[in-house]
Amino acid sequence: MNIAVCICEVPDPVLPVTVTDGTPDLSRVSRIMNPYDEYAVEEAVRLKERFPGSPVTAFTVTSSGSGREALLKALAMGADRAVEVLSASLADSFQIASMLSAAIRTTFPDALPQLVCCGRESSDYRSAAVPAMLAGMLGMAYAGAVTAFRASDGVLELERETEGGVECLEACYPLVFSAEKGLNTPRKTGIRQVMEARRKPLETLHVAPPPGPLVRFCSAEPVTRKRVCRFAASPEELAGLLLRAVQGDAGEGG
Amino acid sequence: MQERGGNGMAAYLVFLEQRDGILAEASVNLWHRVQHHAVPGADRVSGFVAGPLRPGALEPLFGAGVVHHAAEERLARSSETTLSRLLAALAAREAITDIVIASTSAGKRLAPCLAQATGASLLSGCVAGGFQEPVCRRPIHCGSILVACVPEAPVRIYLQDRLPQVLFTGTEHPRSVAFDIVPHLDADEKMNPAVRSITEISRQRDISEAGIIVAGGRGMGGPEGFLLLEKLAALLGGSVGASRSAVDEGWRPHGDQIGQTGKSVSPDLYIAAGISGALQHLAGLSAARTIVAINADPDAPVFGVADYGIVGDVLAVLPRLIDVLGDVLPKK
Repeated sequence: MNIAVCICEVPDPVLPVTVTDGTPDLSRVSRIMNPYDEYAVEEAVRLKERFPGSPVTAFTVTSSGSGREALLKALAMGADRAVEVLSASLADSFQIASMLSAAIRTTFPDALPQLVCCGRESSDYRSAAVPAMLAGMLGMAYAGAVTAFRASDGVLELERETEGGVECLEACYPLVFSAEKGLNTPRKTGIRQVMEARRKPLETLHVAPPPGPLVRFCSAEPVTRKRVCRFAASPEELAGLLLRAVQGDAGEGG
Repeated sequence: MQERGGNGMAAYLVFLEQRDGILAEASVNLWHRVQHHAVPGADRVSGFVAGPLRPGALEPLFGAGVVHHAAEERLARSSETTLSRLLAALAAREAITDIVIASTSAGKRLAPCLAQATGASLLSGCVAGGFQEPVCRRPIHCGSILVACVPEAPVRIYLQDRLPQVLFTGTEHPRSVAFDIVPHLDADEKMNPAVRSITEISRQRDISEAGIIVAGGRGMGGPEGFLLLEKLAALLGGSVGASRSAVDEGWRPHGDQIGQTGKSVSPDLYIAAGISGALQHLAGLSAARTIVAINADPDAPVFGVADYGIVGDVLAVLPRLIDVLGDVLPKK
């Protein structure tokens, strides 16, 4: 069976992103693979190692050509092939999912992959929408935010967090799932894997432009988090401040 | 039947989540928020709940409108795939313009499925606006930026984080109407995926719904340190959260993690104990009202975003704080 894994790049959260001319300025940030996508790639590669003959293809869509490093990392982690999908405009989750869906259909014209792995959400916008939308577009079953994935004889046992507990699911292929933190511990890659990755196929795919976005993002503004901290000299004084906050007459923190 | 989105009238559909036949508190609060916001006599408010309910389960709901109830036993624990099919059918039949879903674990998984099934605009993570205004503002890039989002589709889905409760009572309760799933779900259809069981591991109110959160980080020194936070949380009637380091160390479960690879929270009071305040942690705090920091390092970035603070070792400060509060506060 074929396994697809969808990944993206996000700004490294060591530095805050600033705003220039009303849009987020990403020119000075360094980019990393979205942390949740590492869990997705790791799970895909583990399945491939357990079930030989299950090649892993990594996909990323980008309007700026900024997804290559993430694809190379996925290849170094053990993916077999990578596809960079180029698009003029990717404004919302709906457009990104549309492009991914088109790219997966183009890459696998005869039969869709049995399994599509995604990260729970991208750490920059945190919409957690692309995986579910992609499942709907591909006509595949969907399980979101999975923390355990056990496959045997085509039957899948999944777990995920719910308020105060763990939910157990039973599913079968074909399936799209999104990976939550805790699913696995992504492997580290060394020089050897990085060198091998450069010899693996990395294609660039142009697919038809997506339909218009369903959500328009406009007017980004920087957030000032800075607050003036009133320091308490003793735990007793802090207790007094806390009581005021709890009783609701000290609540202007915004 | 009303026109979809026409003449300014809204037709709201609130997804009511249940577990073991009892409505989730987050859904009940959101129902009242929507009732509070809806214009009487013009807007319509309806609800949807799947699975058998305990007697009187709908009694916490006040206000006019209809609750569509699909009571089948096999919907007792439904996956987002099943729920989104039923909700999409109901929304189309009732010409719904705005679907409102509380941002619980299940709600977060359901909303994008439903957006895909209905072609609706999905608006999530709004800290201002939301279903109450046409434009929604939400934090992106770890909360460093606030971006305005405008829905383009005729139907909108709002995935709503915790809002302060509104008092909405009265003598009126919504009418419960049976929702027939037969046209939408075959009698012998095998659900894929199917929810087999839910195992309870914690009884505390989930941090995404908590009004008071006491969170600990690396400075707590180990899982024992969190016992102090449990005590403080019990006194204040709050829940315990954790930073990424504390979760990565295995001191707390991932469900308690706040920040970029955890949950976003919106408490009225947030106490950060032994948390330095890295950007990835602050990413989960965009909607926190009052922030209190306890840290040994006077230069910790957390003090820059806090309203109140104290410099000192958490393991020394917390016991004294608990003692003082214990004398004043009634036991919760």
